[in-house]
Amino acid sequence: MTMKRRRTAGLPGSYGDADMEGDVTRTDALLDALARREALSGTDAALRLLGALVADVDSQRLSSVSITPST
Amino acid sequence: MPNVTEGCVADAATGVRLATRSDESDLRELTSLAVQGDRTAIESLLGQLRPMVVRYCRARLGRVSGQYHIADDVAQEVCIAVLSALPRYRDMGRPFASFVFGIASHKVADALRSSVRSAVPTQDLPDGPDEGPGPEETVVRYIEAQHARDLLARLPDTQRELLILRVVSGLSAEETGNVLGMTPGAVRVAQHRALARLRQLAELESIA
Repeated sequence: MTMKRRRTAGLPGSYGDADMEGDVTRTDALLDALARREALSGTDAALRLLGALVADVDSQRLSSVSITPST
Repeated sequence: MPNVTEGCVADAATGVRLATRSDESDLRELTSLAVQGDRTAIESLLGQLRPMVVRYCRARLGRVSGQYHIADDVAQEVCIAVLSALPRYRDMGRPFASFVFGIASHKVADALRSSVRSAVPTQDLPDGPDEGPGPEETVVRYIEAQHARDLLARLPDTQRELLILRVVSGLSAEETGNVLGMTPGAVRVAQHRALARLRQLAELESIA
């Protein structure tokens, strides 16, 4: 019989089992890398799309503003 | 009235970094000085927050006629609203970023509701050669980015906000949690589920 380690079920932040905890940690590291604009290898469709969105958002020079209070 | 000058967030390396605990404490101190009217602190505070706000607005609103003018205008409105609200801001223990992104979220919602699609001025002709990606790469990137926006729009609101704040605006799990009223642990679990849902949507579309 396989015993799974469980935290309180149903609460935000709870993990179903050790595998889930590992997956959550890996996802966090991948999103950190994307947020730092690091290139990610692999074929994950969701990460590729988020990477494309990040690249598109960062690609265009701003025609807008920086704001400083008037003197 | 605030002075408005040209700026740029194209250099992602200078605009995106994940905050550390000491950054948060520096930002709190900076916010405190800005609230008291310290001009240098206000400029520095907005300088730190503005790139994140611009990215957030661009990710949520997308391009119109190939440009980010409307998203950038909304980001400008957010910065002006933050500047106007600064004297009334009271530190209630939550980071200043949560206050800023609260305003940004409302401004984006207003823009989406009005969905104004007015004439958009074109960029000035460049003086030199364009060092950016070529037309084909630009189109592919544009299509993929729009596809990402379409799929993100199909996620529950919290999951969409979470991924945009975390990845596009570059907030840490702790900062994202402060904005959305979640613990960092809850953010990590929710972002994992959001990414899984996004993956599922992308795979379903590729099959259809």
